[in-house]
Formats: sequence, C-alpha cells, structure tokens
Amino acid sequence: MRKKKVDINDDNRISSMVEHPSVGDRIVDVIVIILCGLVGFCCLVPMWHVLMASISDGKTLLSHSGVAWLPQGKITLDGYSHIFKDSSVLTGYMNTIFYTVASTVLGFFISCTAGYAMSRRTKLQTVMILGVMFTLLFGGGMVPTYMVIRKLGWVGTRWALIVPGCTNAMFIIMMMNAFKAVPQEMYEAARIDGAGHFRTMSQIMLPQAMNLGSVIILNSVVGQWNAWLQASIYVPNNRKLWPLQLFIREITANNENFLQTSNPDYSRYLIRYAVIMAASLPIIILFPFFQDKLEKGVIAGGIKG
Amino acid sequence: MSKVKVSAGNKSGWKQDIHRNWPIYAMFLPCAIFLIVLCYIPMFGIVMAFEDFEVRKGFFGSTWVGWKNFIDLFSGGEFLSALRNTVCIALLKNTLGFVAPIVFAFLLSMLRSKKYKRTVQTFSYLPNFVAAVVVCSLMVEFFAKDGPITMLLTKLGAENQNWLANNKIPVFWILYVLMGIWQGIGWGSIMYVAAISTVNGDLHEAAAIDGASRLQRMVKITLPCIMPTIIMMFVTNIGLSFAAGYDSILLLYMPSTYNVADTVYTYTYRLAFGSGGANYGLSAASGLFQSVVGTALLLTSNYLSKKVSDGASLF
Repeated sequence: MRKKKVDINDDNRISSMVEHPSVGDRIVDVIVIILCGLVGFCCLVPMWHVLMASISDGKTLLSHSGVAWLPQGKITLDGYSHIFKDSSVLTGYMNTIFYTVASTVLGFFISCTAGYAMSRRTKLQTVMILGVMFTLLFGGGMVPTYMVIRKLGWVGTRWALIVPGCTNAMFIIMMMNAFKAVPQEMYEAARIDGAGHFRTMSQIMLPQAMNLGSVIILNSVVGQWNAWLQASIYVPNNRKLWPLQLFIREITANNENFLQTSNPDYSRYLIRYAVIMAASLPIIILFPFFQDKLEKGVIAGGIKG
Repeated sequence: MSKVKVSAGNKSGWKQDIHRNWPIYAMFLPCAIFLIVLCYIPMFGIVMAFEDFEVRKGFFGSTWVGWKNFIDLFSGGEFLSALRNTVCIALLKNTLGFVAPIVFAFLLSMLRSKKYKRTVQTFSYLPNFVAAVVVCSLMVEFFAKDGPITMLLTKLGAENQNWLANNKIPVFWILYVLMGIWQGIGWGSIMYVAAISTVNGDLHEAAAIDGASRLQRMVKITLPCIMPTIIMMFVTNIGLSFAAGYDSILLLYMPSTYNVADTVYTYTYRLAFGSGGANYGLSAASGLFQSVVGTALLLTSNYLSKKVSDGASLF
C-alpha cells in the first residue's frame, strides 16, 4: 500500500492548459481574483487594525472610530512599554512558555512511545489500537474529568495545565501511522544489530517519522499557546499560574477602567492592543515558515483520521 | 506495505509473546496510564449524572437519585433553550459554514497566478492561528455600538446597536457562525484544494476540447471528483458538531443573551464552574447527554457515509 503523493500546489497543469481565453473567461478570471482578494483582505484586516492601534497615540485612538488603517496620531510604543513594565503580563508570558514547552515535550514522548508500540505486530496490537480509538468516540465529559483531576490533587497546580491536554488519540494514531510508514527493513536491521526497542524507536525510526512528527509538535505548540479554557477551569483564582491568554481576557474586558480616574493616562488604552500583539506575534511570524508542513498535516490527518 | 512477521504470530502462545514483546508493552504504558486516568476513569464518572453528587463522598459514595437530574434538565427552560441553540448553530455551521471553504477552494483553484494564490492562502490561514481569546475580544470590539462593522451595518440601514447584546433570535447564531467561517475558511479549504489538485488533468483537457467552459468543468468534472472528500469532511463535521467548537461562546455571551447564546456545552460549563454555586450532578447529566448525542451522531453519520460511498468513512 503506497501512499498517494499529494502536492496541493500541483494544480497548475489545469490552469496552464492550452486554451483560448474568451471574453467570458476573462470576466470570470477578474471576478475570481477580486473574490479571493476579498477573502484574504477580510482575514487580514482585524489583525492589521490591532497592529496599527497598538502603535498609535492613545488619546487620538480613543476618539477615532472605525478601523485603524494607519497609526492614529504620532507613533508611540507606550502600550508595549506598559505591558513590559507590568509584572503580571510577564508572568503570563513565562507561564505560557513553560506550559507550552512542558506539555509538548510530555505529549510528544507519550505519542511516540505509544505510536511505536501500536505499530509493531504483537498479540495486543488490536487491543491497544481500539483502546486509543474508543476515546475518540466517547468521553466522560467536562465534570467527571474535573473530578478525577481534583482527586489527583492537581486543581490549582500547574499539573492540571500540562498533563491533561498534552496529547490525544488523534496525535497518537497519527504517530502510529508515521511509524508504520517507516520501511520494515530499517527496523529489522536495527533490531539485528542489537538495538533495544526504545533505541530503535528514538534513533532509527523517529528521524524517518519526523515528517508527521513535526506536524504534531507544531499543532501542540499552537494549541497550548492559545489555550485558555483549561486554565479558567483549573486555576481560576491563582493569578501566579495564569497563562497569557487569561490576562488578555481580563485586560480586554476591563480596559476602559482607567478613564474613570481624574487625570487618565491615555496611553493605557493601548495596553489591550499591545498585549494582543505580544501574544499573537510569535505565532504569526512563525507560521508562514511552517505553512507547508502544517498543510500536509491537515491532509494526512484527514485521510487517515 | 509488506507485513513481515517479526513478532510472535497468532499460533505462538501468550507466554512467548510477553517474553518477546514486553519492552513494546512497556513503551505503551505511559499512554495507557494517560488514557485510563484521564479518559476511561472519567467515563465511569458518568454515574455522577445519576447522583446527587457531593465532592466529599466521591463517585461511588454519593446518593443515587436515578433519572432525577435528567428530569430536572428537561423540565427546566434553560436547558431546552440551550439545546435549541445548539441544534440551530450546528445546522448553520454544517450548511453555511461547511460550504464556505469548498467555495473558497474552488475560487483558489481558478486563480491563474500561483504567487497570488499562495499569498491569498497565507492570509486566509492567519485567523486560524489567532487565539480564541483574541478573536472574541476583536468580535466584541468590531460589533460594539461604535465598532467598525456596526457602523458599516448602520450605514446600510440597520439599527445602531451592540450586536452581541442583541437577544433576538437569529442574530447571535449568525454572528457566531460567521466568526467560525472567518476563522476556518482558509484552513478548512486545505483538504479541498488538495483534492482538486489531484483531479486528472486529462478529463479537463478532453472536456475543454469538447467546448465545456471553465464553470461547466468545475461543476461537471471537479465537483464529482472531489465528492468523496466532501462527504468525508461532512461526516466528520456532523459527528463533531454537537461536541466541539462551542467554547468561544463562553467569551462572547452575557447573562442578557443566555436565551439565544447558551448551548449545551456552555450550560454544562456554567452549572459546574459558573459563579452561582456548582451543581455537579446536573452538570454531569447535561454533559452525558451531550456525549451520548455526539457519539450517536458520529456513528450514524459514519454508517451513512459507508452506505453512500464505499470506503469514504472514518472507521
């Protein structure tokens, strides 16, 4: 069973086919170009607005209505200096980085070991696969899970934000498929040379399986970076453990409180935009580099899922 | 892939299998512990739904009340309106929200400039990577009384208002589904763009020679060719439509819009973790209802897709 090679940018063949474009075709072309541009534009505008607002002047921005196409007033970085002076945002930043790294590492370890075990022919292979698959189909739900984690003593601790979301059945099954696709000969050669199972997995087969593996890592990083629900359930009152997203939620909800003081510092209005940019920029800057990989991951996940 | 029997086959006994493969089983152990503790034990926790649950007494010590929690659920108006909202939002998601990425993929495939296509795609993926918290705070800002989109709508003749505070019936549903489309249109189109690119070019060429226009070819050739993909995605979406994708509502709704914005998911959340004191038993009942309906949907849609097209199913 060979995997069909899917290259999603290979459709030029159709469009570059010999044709005599008629007037109607030209009109269709123009409409298509405009519609696609419109979608791209709509997807870009909100973040552009935030970016421009974050470097605007607070007072001018407050009186401005509508989308900020360009920086309002003179360009300032006051919003950013506010958030980097604010220790709570920095705490959030550190926490988010810690949760993202810890959870991804732990999750990837579990996915790899389990994926490898499930890809080998053993008597319990089917049992293991079904055991993983079943969790895709049915779950206990929010409250029973909460009760189990409470019983473990993890409520109000970092464990609750690292372990429960670190991997899932989808990732494990994708990893199993990645290991299955590694040529059997490599596995046998490593085993005959005396490598143990863990060594065979980590040093011989994993480099071959990293194509899908890196997709899982990227998905996990993005998911953890943007996660907020877990934290709002498990550490609602312990601000020291909050990830950045919970601080953003709080700041954007109460951003205009400062106006009630007698002599408001208008640059505080920029905080909400600055903090959104600070949280989103790392991902936005990184993702175009991994775009192709992530695309392949979606396709692989869809076909195999 | 050739399957070489390196490990114990069916004929050899368990003893030999364990002796040979114990390192493999040991490697599965972390995963087994993870799944048992965080997935399977909570499944037994659904007994909570039939109990007057008290944290101190635990899953098996609390008082058994039978179907009382479910009777309470279905006799209270809040749950019923949450159920109605869930069904309506799911329907909108699976029609409007499902068609949007397909249309977008077709549009992309009709672009002649590869560079332009790539740029549009990159932009369209962007919302998928923006955190839910950020997306929702932008929603609040753009649809506020003086927000950009509200002003645009006012110019077009709609009443000036905070749209997210509107508790008339389809408003919140439509806003929520539109937000989902905005987030997912680019990312959701990837599968279809990939499927369209694998359509055999000879078919197009033959049709073009016979005088079929591009639009005709799209409908008569490309669409049937990617139908298995569309069905598969539809099945997945239907299956997940009851369980996933409602957490953002927690960031958007407010007590005055509970009647239109509340879903089974958010209702479950609020009962357990909301500010008004926790009712874990009732919440577990609501969650169990959601799980059961979700599983039933997944199995049914999977079964149907097996019937409709051979092979294009999930399991």
